[in-house]
This record gives sequence, structure tokens and C-alpha cells, in this order.
Amino acid sequence: MATTKFRHVFGGLWGFATSCKKNSSTPIGSRILQRDVEKEEFQYASILCLSKYYSVFVVRLAIMVMLAILIGLLTILTWHFTKIYTTKSLNSLAYDLRYELLQRPILRMWNILNSTSEITMAQVKLSQYVIRSHGNLTTQENQVEQMYEAMRAVTWALFASRKALNSITVKYNNGFVQAFHRDLKDNNTFYIYSDLANYSIGASASSYNSDINYSSLSSQESWNDHDNKSAVWYRQPLDPVTGEKIGKAMQIAPEDSIHIAGLSQVPDGVASWRVVVSKFTDSPLLSAALPVWDASNKSIVAVVGVTTALYSVGQLMKELVELHSGHMYLTSLEGYLLATSTDVPLLTNSTKPPKLKMAVDCENEVIRLGAEYLKKSSGNKFPPSHEVHVANVRLGHDRYYIDSFFLNLKRLPMVGVIIIPRKHILGQEDKRAFKTLVILISASMCIIVIGWVCILILTNGVSKEMKLRAELISQLEARRKAEASSNYKSQFLANMSHELRTPMAAIIGLLDILMSDDCLTNEQCATVTQIRKCSTALLRLLNNILDLSKVESGKLVLEDAEFDLGRELEGLVDMFSVQCMNHSVETVLDLSDDMPKLVRGDSARVVQIFANLINNSIKFTPSGHIILRGWFENPNPCSDNANHLMEEKNLQCAQKTRTRQHENHAKRTSKRDNKAILWFEVDDTGCGIDPSKWDSVFESFEQADPSTTRLHGGTGLGLCIVRSLVNKMGGEIKVVKKEGPGTLMRLYLRLDTAGDATEQHCLVDIANNGLVVLLALHGNMGRSITSKWLQKNGVFTMEASEWNGLTQILRELFHTRNSAGINNDFDLHYPIHESLKSKLLSIQEIKNPVFVIAVDIGLLDLSTDIWKEQLNFLHRYVGRAKFIWVLNHDTSNTIKMELRRKGYMMTVNKPLYKAKIVHILEEVVKERNHEMQKKNMDELHESDYTHCDAASSDDSDISESGPCNPVKSEKVEQFHRLSLYRINNCLIGLTDEHSEANNTPKKEELCQNNQNSPKSLSLEQDYFPREAHQGEDSESRGKEEHRIIGGSARPVNGKKSLEGLRILLAEDTPVIQRVATIMLEKMGASVVAVGDGQAAVDALNGLLGVEDFRRDSNLNERNTRSSSSQTEILSFPSYDLVLMDCQMPKMDGYEATKAIRKSEVGSGVHIPIVALTAHAMSCDEAKCLEVGMDAYLTKPIDFKLMESTILSLTRRTIS
Amino acid sequence: MREKEKERKEEISKMDVVTQMQRQLIQYTSSLFQEGFLDDQFNQLQQLQDESNPEFVVEIVTLFFEDAERLLNELSKSLQVEQESIDFRKVDAQVHQLKGSSSSIGAQRVQRVCIAFRNFCEQQNVEGCLKSLQEIKQEYSLVKTKLETLFKMEKQLFAARGSISR
Repeated sequence: MATTKFRHVFGGLWGFATSCKKNSSTPIGSRILQRDVEKEEFQYASILCLSKYYSVFVVRLAIMVMLAILIGLLTILTWHFTKIYTTKSLNSLAYDLRYELLQRPILRMWNILNSTSEITMAQVKLSQYVIRSHGNLTTQENQVEQMYEAMRAVTWALFASRKALNSITVKYNNGFVQAFHRDLKDNNTFYIYSDLANYSIGASASSYNSDINYSSLSSQESWNDHDNKSAVWYRQPLDPVTGEKIGKAMQIAPEDSIHIAGLSQVPDGVASWRVVVSKFTDSPLLSAALPVWDASNKSIVAVVGVTTALYSVGQLMKELVELHSGHMYLTSLEGYLLATSTDVPLLTNSTKPPKLKMAVDCENEVIRLGAEYLKKSSGNKFPPSHEVHVANVRLGHDRYYIDSFFLNLKRLPMVGVIIIPRKHILGQEDKRAFKTLVILISASMCIIVIGWVCILILTNGVSKEMKLRAELISQLEARRKAEASSNYKSQFLANMSHELRTPMAAIIGLLDILMSDDCLTNEQCATVTQIRKCSTALLRLLNNILDLSKVESGKLVLEDAEFDLGRELEGLVDMFSVQCMNHSVETVLDLSDDMPKLVRGDSARVVQIFANLINNSIKFTPSGHIILRGWFENPNPCSDNANHLMEEKNLQCAQKTRTRQHENHAKRTSKRDNKAILWFEVDDTGCGIDPSKWDSVFESFEQADPSTTRLHGGTGLGLCIVRSLVNKMGGEIKVVKKEGPGTLMRLYLRLDTAGDATEQHCLVDIANNGLVVLLALHGNMGRSITSKWLQKNGVFTMEASEWNGLTQILRELFHTRNSAGINNDFDLHYPIHESLKSKLLSIQEIKNPVFVIAVDIGLLDLSTDIWKEQLNFLHRYVGRAKFIWVLNHDTSNTIKMELRRKGYMMTVNKPLYKAKIVHILEEVVKERNHEMQKKNMDELHESDYTHCDAASSDDSDISESGPCNPVKSEKVEQFHRLSLYRINNCLIGLTDEHSEANNTPKKEELCQNNQNSPKSLSLEQDYFPREAHQGEDSESRGKEEHRIIGGSARPVNGKKSLEGLRILLAEDTPVIQRVATIMLEKMGASVVAVGDGQAAVDALNGLLGVEDFRRDSNLNERNTRSSSSQTEILSFPSYDLVLMDCQMPKMDGYEATKAIRKSEVGSGVHIPIVALTAHAMSCDEAKCLEVGMDAYLTKPIDFKLMESTILSLTRRTIS
Repeated sequence: MREKEKERKEEISKMDVVTQMQRQLIQYTSSLFQEGFLDDQFNQLQQLQDESNPEFVVEIVTLFFEDAERLLNELSKSLQVEQESIDFRKVDAQVHQLKGSSSSIGAQRVQRVCIAFRNFCEQQNVEGCLKSLQEIKQEYSLVKTKLETLFKMEKQLFAARGSISR
């Protein structure tokens, strides 16, 4: 009940509160107020929580109290009822018992009375008979004597038959007395008679009769007394059985005699009863008297008296109450004791003759007290036929039951009293009841105590729980605060990212401008360069810190998009190789063939991981090599021969491979659906890390050796970011023990493999084509890895590490073939190794071999002019072998020119990794096939290294853009477009440095106009290699082969980067509109500016329509529909790009973009849209990308960033 | 000869004047940057100025003045106290525009006040908004006078240079 009440109250409160909250929160839309409301709500919730617990506590308490009360009540009730009922039943039982008990002696009494009266009656009848039979003989003495004799016999007979009789007396009217007496004490029987003084019975009888009738009683008494006194009495003992006289008659005094019933006792001639006492007995006697009438029934002849001792009644009573230890007594109506159950004397001995005692004078205390009690309670007048039943009377020390019955006998009313100690009847019961009560009370006490203890414990628990809850609440609050503060932190960082990066970008940009200025002195130039370097470093550091905080605050959301892992890593190695070569360190990429080509994940972050690792390695590796190994869930791919064998088999039967790989793949990834574990190792030969620092190097601002900071710089953030990112991708990174000097970092990433992970190698073309590759490369590691890989794929390889080795092999190869034995003297100087010999022999077995010689330009002696001689020497073999020149990034132009002059078109930039080799070899194979078809074809196959570069990093697309799966390539393209901005941001630090370090060759690398499709590549192409070459991919592969890229060094700045682009600018603020327009125009683009989103959509829609129209009518130029814009209206057939402000009147940028994308559906057109926004938050970025924009620029507009973004987006559409 | 010398001297003195003016201009500009009236965006604008549009900066800044004045008028209109309910969204949009344009010319002090203004707007704080409006007006007039002075100086310099080259 209480609980529901509480609940009700709380429910009411809650409802009220919520309604309050609703009322208060609805009108206020502000975020801050809402936050306040939330806070209040939170506090309220905590209060509610507390009060709830208090209520629970109270409820529990109440329940316990109620329980205790209930138990107590139950106990008391049980006790009460049991007690009452048992007492009642016992009482009734006791009553019955008492009644019964009392009834017995009364019955006995009654019996005694009855028998006495019967005997008296019998005696009377017999006497009458005898007297009648001797009638009229009164005068004659002998006849009288005779009659007395007969009387005596009759009386004896009667007396003898009744043993209980005390005496029978017959007193004749003439004064003669005949009596039989039985002395109960000594069991003697006596015959008592008087001396016969007068024989006239009748006369005396008449007088007697008249006396009776007329005389006063007193006179009669006196007569009688006189008679008696005057008479002489005798007592003769008799044999108690036979009645024979056994002794001599003794004369006794009349007063000594027994009580003789006289005429006085029958005053009105009827039977009378009385209790008498005799001096022979100590107990009262009951005597009955009856007159004997004569024959005529007119006069009394004699009086018969019968006395019976009441002793037996007392005896019976004694017996009866003996068991119950009670007391019983009979009193006369006046209160004289007749019989008791005790042995106390009933007669007062003090007086002569003895008299009956009153009950109240009884020597027995209990009886006396009982009698007194009765007397007190009912007064002297004992109510006739009224029974007294009193229970629980205190007599003396004990309690007694007192019951009295009234026995109404004629002339002798009697009262029977029974006193039974209560203890006897209810003693046990009382004890039990007491015990029960005690037990019950103690039990309930126990229960209450236990209950309280329970409550105490419970409440203790509750209070503890409440404390915990309170703590929890406070902790929640603390957590909320912490979250809020971290929120502020991340917000702060997000703001900072903008605030910090923008000025840095501006600084760097301005420095670039300054550096390109010609009028700087050398000193200034050096200073500016230094500043630029520092700025770049600062930006990188900034980016690192921001990345780290982003990861740590959990804000970093990994992108989930498909990307080509191999290509990313190749690009990375390309980038770093330049830096490495300056350090004379070899960079090798060694990816196992079973690596899935396409994986899903955040490409930018993956690249960042490896960029950081490689950067680190380069920093600490003064010489040697850096190897980036990668394999697919295989602990040891490089030394696992079984795996290699399997791979070889795979190559032989591609179909089988596919199935098996699929099986393997399924096995590996069955547990985690489609998640592949990719292992990577970055192995360097640097100074290494002390094993004790292997764990700590991944902590932030931690470097293995603090002293290196001075030497190498760095903040120690790189590895921390790496670890965070790796962990975020579900992987781990650790430093692994390595043989030899250096560090071996091993990590694995858990990436989703793209649906069709069983990629096909294009090596089928290369293998079994009789290719013999001579690798004359400088770097040992790279060469051996490449060679091993080629051999594994069925290509015969030979290796040479320096010029002499190369010449020797060349001699062996070609001179032994053409003219054996010429080179004898040469052999003497350079003995051929056995292994080489066997190789040569095996080569000779190859039918129609194609020799491919990859020559590192570093093998030539470039310091002097000897290289020209060496070149000429090699040129001798040009007909017999294909030469591939592996160039360094700093290879001078003269050498390149020389090579080109000599007609070597296959040049490739270091590092030489698989994709490049595959591409080159494919080219070679194709060329050979081509030659075989058209023997006389003079066309030179030129292949610029740039092209190779491009192709290599694009090789996945080459294979993909074939007819087999165009859909996929498109998908990839889509993804690239989406991830563009991110990549841009991410790589800016790296690429900046890269481009800066590699300034000169980069410029040279820039592509020029193609004959087929005029295009301009700028510096940005290297920032986004894939994007840049996407356009080329869309070209057919056939073209690629014959494409001639002419010219060498091109001026970069002379050309406007956005030449020919038509850009639609949607911006409402006139200032920004103007600025952006000028900027774009400065870059060479043509700009149409509109004032709002609607105008932009209209402009585009109109153009779409125009395009359709143009397609039909071949109309090449048509003015664009003029927008309502106020500034500038230019006419262009179509737009290449839209710059869209996000916040505009009428229709904002998001809406406009949605509308544009909607209208594009089905037409296959995708116009790049770049968002312009003043918000620098990532959510805005996400929103922009979500509505279909391709990239994202923040205001104020950064010149360079805009340029690069636009370029990257327009590259593919230009072609 | 003498005349020539005189001319030379004149020229030299003119050159001195020009260099002085130039120095003054540079000093003034740097003071503007130091005091935070302008930021590097203004530099970018100056970078964009070339032979094809020699008056670019002036043009842009004039545009900014027009735009800002219009916006300020609108703002003070929409923030009138006697108005029953203030359309904060509209105010926000206007301030946003002003922020965009001021950031585009590099008037960063105005831009900063705009940011504060927008915060007040978000809180629907009328007093804060009015305060910010006053601040913006003040900053705007300040930057306007500064820029006008700058342009004047530039013009003078240009004129002086022109006289020399002539």
C-alpha cells in the first residue's frame, strides 16, 4: 500500500517535471539553453534517483515493521485462543469432575439415608406386627415378656442384616428399652435393655397417646426423661454374628447408653431425621425415628430409632479426593460439619457431651477458609437449591475451585462442598500456557529482532548501493564534464586545424612566390629556402599533432572505400626513393603476389602509416637498404618455399590457382567475414633500436635515443600516430628482432578485401616467352629480390652489380653464341663462375630467347666522360637485346639526351619494382610480337620514363580497363574522386617535401601536350598521381603504346595551369565572387559567376540542354544563358567545374548540388562541384561530400589549394 | 650643363621623395598588418593585381565597402529594438556574408567581430548582437579610413613615380 502510494507520488512528480521540461524547452531553441536544460534534467534525474532510493528504503522499512507487527499479533492471537479454548474445555471438564466427585458422597449419603429409613420402616413394621400378634396381652407379664423376647429376636435379625447400622433402639411407651448397638471402634455388639418396671403397655400407651395429643412436649420429655433416669439399664455383649449372649449383662447408666430415640423425636408421629453425636463415636451419627402405632392406629406403642454412622461417607470422600488432593465436606444447612474428606475431628471435644463443629471452625485450614469464603460470599442464608461454582479462589497460598451443592433431604437439608486446588486441574495447563506465552513472545521477539537485523543489513546494503549510485552519478557527471571538455578540445582542435593550417599554407605559398621571384639575391634566396623548409616542417608537425589528437579523441573516422594497396605503396616508394637515393639508401618494395589487389579501408591513413615508418627508417639509415615487405596472412613468405612452389603451380594453371586461392582465402577469412590480415614489414639497416625501447618507441614524444633528436630532429610523434592508426585498423605493430643491424618493424592490418580478391597476375604473358633478363643494377637487395621474383615467375634472370660483371656476362652471352673461342684472353682475366656458366648453358637451351638488359645508369662511370664509351660499348648489343635504362632522379639531361639520341626509349626511374618490371616486360613481349608480325616496321617504340612511371602506378587500371570489367574501374574512379580531398590534405606535408627536394626533375617530369589530346599537367600531377593518370587510363591501351611524348624540359610557370577551363562560380558575396574570379582568371580559367544556387542550377541545366542540342545540330558555339548575376556574364559552351558557395540566398549550395546531381542522373555526366565554405569543420566536409560535391575549399580561398583541387578534379574530364 | 645638373638634382630629390613615400607606404601597410587590421588575404589580393587589372585591389575593396555598408544597414534594420521578434536566422546569414567578404579582403578585425556576432546570434542574445553591431560598425569605419588612406598613399606614390618616369 505504502509502496503504491509512494510510486503514485513520484509518478506525479515525474509527470509534472517532464511537463515542465517540455514547456521550458520547446520555446527556447538555442543550443546553450538546451544544454542547460539537459543539465537540469540530469540533475533532476539524479535527484529523482536518490529520492527513489530513499523511497525504496522507506518502503522496505515499512514492510519490515508491518511484518513484525503481524507476527506479533499472530502470536498473541494464537496464544490467546489456545489458552481460552483449553481453559474453557478444561474448566468444563473440571466442572464435570467436581460434580461427579461431589455426587458420589452425596449418593452415598443418600444411600445411607435411604437404608436407614428403610430399616427404620422395616423395624416399625415388624414391631407393629409383633405387638399386634401379642395384642391385648399387656397386662399379663409373661405375655409381655414373651412379646419383648419376640421383639428382641426380630430386631436382632434386622440389626444383624445391616452391618452398617450403628444401633437400633425400640422404646416402648412403658419405658422399656430394647436396643442393639454396634461399637464400630472395637467391633463389639451389645444388647442394651432396661429394667422392666411397668408391664402395662396399653395404659401407658393411652396416656401416652393422650400425652401426645394433649400434653405439652416438655411434659412428655420430662416423662420420658424421668423414665429413663429412673430405669436401670443393662448392657450385654453379644456375638456379633449369632446374637448369642456371650457376656454378662452389665448395668450401665442411662446417660452412658447410646442415643435412644424417644417419643420426643417423633412429635407429630411421622418419621424424623437428625444428626446426633454419641460419646462412643467421634463421628456424627444419622438417626431416624419412627413411631410404632398400635393396631387401631390410635396410639404410639413404641418409637423405633435407627442410627447410622456417617463415618463411611467421610471415608468415601477421603478416597475420592485423595487422588485430586482436594477437600470435600458436607455440612448441615446450619453449617455443622457432617463429613469431611480429612481426618480432622468433627466434634468438639471441649464440651460434654460432644457437639458438632461448625465448618468455619474446622481445624483443616482449607476447609475452614473455603467455608469462610462461602459464608462471606453468600451470607449466612445459604440459598436453597442454589449451587455455587467458583473457580480460582485464593485460599491461603493456592488457588482453588470451590463448588457446593445443596442436598435437600426432608428434615435434613445438607450442603456438599468440594474444594479442589486449581493447580491439580489446570496446573499443567497454566504452566503450559505460560510456557507457550513465553515461547511465543520470545519467538516474536526473535523474529522482530531478526527482522530489524535484516532491515539493518538491507538498509545498509541499500545505503551502500545508494552511496555507490551517488558516486556513479558524480562520476557520470565528471565523465560528462570530461567529455564536454574533450568535446571542446576536439572542437578547439578542429578550429585550430583551420586556424593553424591556413596561415601555414599561406606562409608556404607566399614563400613559394617569393622563391620564384628572380630579383632575390642568393643570400635572400637561401634564407627564404630555409624558411620554407622550416615552415614545411612546422606544417608537418602540426599535421601530426592534429592527427594524433584526432585519433586520441576518437574523432578519426576511417574511411571505408576500395583502394589499390599495391599502387599506393608503389607511389609511396617512388616518393621516398628520391630521398633515399640522396642518402645512398636503397628502397625496395617487396609485396608478395598473393596480396589482394583491392582492399577496403582508408587509403590515406594506410599510406600515412607507411610514410611515417619509411620516413623514420630513412632518418636513421645512413646506408644500406629499406625494404617494405608485405604479404597476406602468411608468417614467413620470403623463406616459405612451399608457398613459392604453390605460387609456381598457380602460374602454370591459372584456373586451378583461382579455385585454390579462393579456397585458401575462404579458409582464412571464414572466421572474420572477408577481413584479410595483411602483414607488413619495414626493414632497414639503420642504427637500430635498443630492445628495451621496443615498446616505448610507440609512445608519443618518445625516441629510442634522445640524443638522436639533435642529429635527426623529429618529435617522436610519427610512430605514435602509426600505432594509433594501426590499432584503429584492427592491427598491431611491434619491433621484431632482426639479424644484422637495423630495425625490423612488423605490423599487420585487418582490412576488408574487396569482393573479388582473387586477382589475376598479368605475368602469364611474361612467363614462357623465352625472356632472359639481365639485371645490371646497383642495389643488391632490390636486384636480388627482383631476380628471385622473376625467376619464380618463369623468367630467366642474370645479375650483375657492376660494370665489369655486366660486360663479362654480355661477352659470355653473345660472343660465345656468335663466335666461340674469341674471348679466350678475356676469360683469362675474368674467369667465369661456375654458376654463371651453368646459367649460360641453360640459356643456350632456350629457343628464340629475348634478352632484356636492365642497366642501372649508376653502373656507368658518370664522373668522367667514360660513360660515353661505355654507352657505345653497350650500343653494340642493341640489336640483340632490349636495353632498359634505369635512371636516377638526378640523372643529368645530357645523359638522357644521349640515350634518346641513341634510340633507347625504354627508360625507367628508380626504384624498380614489380609493377614497373611487369609493364616493361609486357612492352618487350608485345614489341617482339609486333616485330614478328611486321618485321620491317621502323617505328620506334618510345617510352618515356614518365610514361612508365605513370603506367606503373597505374598498372592495375591497365589490366582493369580492359573489356573484362569496366564497371569496376569506374567504381575505383568514383572512389578516388571522393577521397581526393582527404588525400590532398594528408599528403600535403609529404608531397611538399618531396616536390621540394625533387624540384628540378619534377619539373621535367611534367607532361606536355599530347598530339591527340592537348593537356597540361602541372605540379599537382605529382600530388595526385592516380588522379592525374586517370585520364590517360580512359584512353585506349593501344594508343598508349604509340603515344609519343616529346620534348624535355618545359617551363612550368610560363603556362597558366587552368588554361581553357570553364568554371561556374556560384557565390553571393560580391567581394569573394570578385576575388575568386580574378584568382581563377589569373590561372587561366574562364569564369562565369552567378549570385545564388538557383542561378547556378539554371545555368547548368541550360547548358545541359545546350549540350544535347549541340549534339544534334553540331553547333559548336553558343552563348550560355545569362544568369541573373550582376557581375559578369561570359559565354561558354559548357562548364568543366562548379565552385559552389554553401551559404547563399534563394538556394544554398547543398540544395543546388543536390539539384544538379539529380538532373545528371541518367545523362552520364558528372560535373565536378567544389564546395566553398567558411566552416572548417569536418562535419561540413562530410555534408558537402554527402550531397554530391567532389571537393571542399575553405574561405578565405587559398590560391594554391584551389588550383590543385581544381586541377585534380578537371584532369580526367579534360581528356 | 648646369641645367642638366639641376635636372639631375631635381630628379634625385624626386627620387628621394618617391623612396620616402614608398617607405612610408610600406611602414603604413606593415602597421596595418601589425595592428591586425589586415591579414595575408590582403597580400593575396595584391598578388592578384597585375597589368590586366591594375585597379583590382581598389575595386575589390570598394566592392567590399558597398557590400558591407548594405549589410550593416540591413543588420541595423533587422536588429531594431522596437521590433517584436528578431529573425536571427536572417541576421546570422547577413553576418555570415559580411564575415565572408571581410575575410576575403583580409579585414580580419571585422571578421573577428563577425565571429563573435554569430555566436551571439546563435544564443539569440539581442544585447550582444547590438553590441557586436556597434563594434562592427566601428571596426568597419576604422578599416575603411585606413584602407582609404592606404589607397591615397598608393595613388600619390604612383603619381610621383609617374612624374619621375616621365
